[in-house]
Amino acid sequence: MADGPASPPGGSHESGGDQSPRHNVREQDRYLPIANISRIMKKALPANGKIAKDAKDTVQECVSEFISFITSEASDKCQKEKRKTINGDDLLWAMATLGFEDYIEPLKVYLQRYRELEGDTRGSARGGDGSARRDAIGSQPGPNAQFAHQGSFTQAMNYMNSQAQGQHLIVSPVQSSE
Amino acid sequence: MRQAGTYSGILNGGMSGRTGPHLLPLARIKKIMKRSGEDVKMISGEAPIIFSKACELFIEELTQRSWKVTLQGKRRTLHKEDVASAVIATDVFDFLVNVVSKSGANSEDTPVVMER
Repeated sequence: MADGPASPPGGSHESGGDQSPRHNVREQDRYLPIANISRIMKKALPANGKIAKDAKDTVQECVSEFISFITSEASDKCQKEKRKTINGDDLLWAMATLGFEDYIEPLKVYLQRYRELEGDTRGSARGGDGSARRDAIGSQPGPNAQFAHQGSFTQAMNYMNSQAQGQHLIVSPVQSSE
Repeated sequence: MRQAGTYSGILNGGMSGRTGPHLLPLARIKKIMKRSGEDVKMISGEAPIIFSKACELFIEELTQRSWKVTLQGKRRTLHKEDVASAVIATDVFDFLVNVVSKSGANSEDTPVVMER
């Protein structure tokens, strides 16, 4: 029987009852919501397919592991290059490096579509080229101010420009919390 | 007048139909990213957006591979053991081996069934 190492004190926890450094980290900080995961899993199955709860729990753990796995690789790269901010390119690079190159194209498409739609929604000049984009950026000083460091702002801009696309995607609110 | 709240609303997936909501909550993704290591401090705004899609692709792939195992066992309900078998059989999922074998060890009696 393989029940040796993983016996949490005081009865077993429902899922992932490991004794790893779980220093009062709340479940909701470690995992994505099970309902969202379940929805995506169901989408991937035929209509008659059922999913046991233990499978959902396992996939939930796997997704967090996936995020950490990719993030760590991207973070290492940033450190080597003496950059502070993990950006989108770092993640794409890490995924390609770690064997998920199949994800890159769909992700690029997704990002591109996201940017286009964001551009529309923010009601700024569309259909223009680079200059229109610059205008749009200049006209929205508010969010820019939230970048903690000028460096990261420049990086983000470089990233966007390098994609030769990105209608002024300004995503600073998630940039530097905490 | 635009305010920061508007943007964070968007980025939390509270966006109206045009972008479509992200299927996964960006704030949570960011938290998990930050837990990945002490060096992870600054994360660009695009990173959680990329992950929201990447995780979707990942879940789909893992689920589909697991489902094949389920079908091979002539069953209709996907169980944790199927996920474990799919992980073990798939090279790029090597980093998950500990996760699935750990949760396998927590279960009653079913060891990982590799050959199914």
